[in-house]
Amino acid sequence: MTEAEAVRAEVETLLALVRERYGSRLDAEQLAGVRTSIEGIVQASRALRAVRLGNADEPAQPFGAYRADP
Amino acid sequence: MAEDVVFAPVRVLAEGIRARRLSPVALAETFLDRLERLGPRYNAVVTVTRARALEQARRAEAEIAAGRYRGPLHGIPYGAKDLLATSGGIPTTWGAAPFRDRVFDFDATVILKLEAAGAVLCAKLAMVELAGGMGYRQPNAAFTGPGVNPWNREAWSGGSSSGSGSAVAAGLVPFAVGSETWGSILSPAGNCGVSGLRPTYGRVSRHGAMALCWTLDKLGPLALTADDCGLVLEAIAGRDPADPTTMDRLYRYPGAGPAGRRFRFGVLRGVTDGCEDAVRENFARSLEVLKGLGTVDEVTLPDLPYDDITRTILFAEAASAFEDLIESGGIAGLTAPEDRYTAYARDAILAKDYLKALRLRGVMAREVDRVLAPLDALVAPGRSTVAAMLGGEVRSAIRGTARDVMGAVGNGAGLPAVAVPNGFGARGLPTSLQFMGRAWEENTVLAAAAAYQSATDWHARRPAEV
Repeated sequence: MTEAEAVRAEVETLLALVRERYGSRLDAEQLAGVRTSIEGIVQASRALRAVRLGNADEPAQPFGAYRADP
Repeated sequence: MAEDVVFAPVRVLAEGIRARRLSPVALAETFLDRLERLGPRYNAVVTVTRARALEQARRAEAEIAAGRYRGPLHGIPYGAKDLLATSGGIPTTWGAAPFRDRVFDFDATVILKLEAAGAVLCAKLAMVELAGGMGYRQPNAAFTGPGVNPWNREAWSGGSSSGSGSAVAAGLVPFAVGSETWGSILSPAGNCGVSGLRPTYGRVSRHGAMALCWTLDKLGPLALTADDCGLVLEAIAGRDPADPTTMDRLYRYPGAGPAGRRFRFGVLRGVTDGCEDAVRENFARSLEVLKGLGTVDEVTLPDLPYDDITRTILFAEAASAFEDLIESGGIAGLTAPEDRYTAYARDAILAKDYLKALRLRGVMAREVDRVLAPLDALVAPGRSTVAAMLGGEVRSAIRGTARDVMGAVGNGAGLPAVAVPNGFGARGLPTSLQFMGRAWEENTVLAAAAAYQSATDWHARRPAEV
C-alpha cells in the first residue's frame, strides 16, 4: 500500500465513524467538508507519530492528587 | 469633553484623572456615547453596559475626590470580550446565537479584578462565535455580524477578539480585554493597528471565561500602546483559587523601563516565508529599527511539527469543551455555515494522538526556551497577511491554510507575546510586529515593544473616519 493509499484508507475509516455518529445531520456538501477536515487531522496525526519519543517523555500536563481540606 | 481624550493612552488619561483634570463620569459618558453611536458601524459591541458603567464611574469620581485614588485604571473605561461572565443581567453570549440571551449571576475574575482597580466596564465586545473554535473560514462568524475594521470598512477586524481590536482602534474604549487560544489577541491587534498582549499561560485567571481549550486559553489586554497593556496586566494578573492553572507569581509592571536599554532579539530562520510582500517589507524595516535598540540574530528551532502539535491539542480540547453543543446538534444554530458541521470531524482525533501532542508539547516548550534563553525576545511579523476582506476567506494556521510557527510555538508553549503596529500594507490596512519572550517575561517583551514604539509612530496613527 502506498503512502497515499494508506492515508486514504485511514481517512475513510475515520469518516465512517463520524458518518455513523452524525451522518443523519449532514448533507453531501457538509460531509465533503468533514472529509476535508479529517484529511487534515490524519495528516497531523501522522506528523505527530513520525516523531519518536522516549518512555519518560510525559505529557506536558499538570495533574495533582486532590484532597479537600482538611 | 474634548475629543482628544478619545485616543489618549491609558497612562495619559490616568494622569488626568489622578490630577482631577478629567472626570471619570464625563469620560465614561464620552466613551458610552461613542460605543452606542459608532459601535454598530464596526459590529464591535454586543452590549453597552451603560448603567453599570455610570455607577462605577460615579463611585470612582467620589473616591478620587475623597483622596482614595486606586491606581492607573481608576476611572478608566474599558470593554470586555463577550466571553467573560458578567452579573447584573448583562448577557454573556460567547458571540454565538444559541447563547445570545444567556445571563450569568457572577462576574469573571478578570471583571472583578478590574472593578477592584477602579476601571469602568462600558461594553461587552463582539467576538467570533465560540472564539473561533468550531472551524470558521470567513469573517461573518458571529450573530453580531462580521467584525468591521476601522481602517477599511470592507475589511475584517478579527479574530476572534474582533470587537476588542476594533473598539480600541476606533476610540470606543481606551482598552479592552480579549482572549487568545491561538492568535485571538495578536490577530485583531495586528489587523486593527493596536497593541495586544498575550500573557504567559497561567498569568491571568480564566475563571468565568468561556473555555475553548483548557490548556491553551489566555486572557490579555488590547490597548493603544504596549505600555498601556502592562498597566492592564498588572490589574488582572495573579493567582486565583478558582482557576488552578494560575501560578503564584507576583506580577508588577514597572513601566517601560530606562531609555537606552539594549535588547537581544532573535529571528527564526524563514519566519517570513509565506508572508505578503508588504508584511515582509515592513518587518525588514522594523528590524532596522530594532538594530538601533540592540542586537538581531537569526536563530533556528529543531524540526518538529509545531503547527500539528498545537492544532491537535486545540481541536481535541475544543471538541470536548463543546461536547454538549456538538453532540446535541446545537452547532446548527451558529452563524458561519462551516461552524455548523466542521467540529463533527474532531471525533476522528484519537486519544493516543492527543497524548502524543501533549508529550511533544513538552519537547517544544523546552526547545523554544533553550532558544529564547540568551535572548530578550523572538521577533516576527504579527500576522503573515493584512486583514481579510469581509467577503473573503480567512487564512488560518489553525486550519492549515496559513503558516504560523510563532503562534503554534507561542501558544502551545504558553509564552507571552505582544503585537504592535509596524506599518501598512494592501488596502491601507495595518501590519504588525510581535515580540515573544520566555515564560513570565511579560515585562521584557513589553519593554522591547515600548522601546520600538518610542522609536516609531505607527501606534499614534488613527483611522481616517473615526
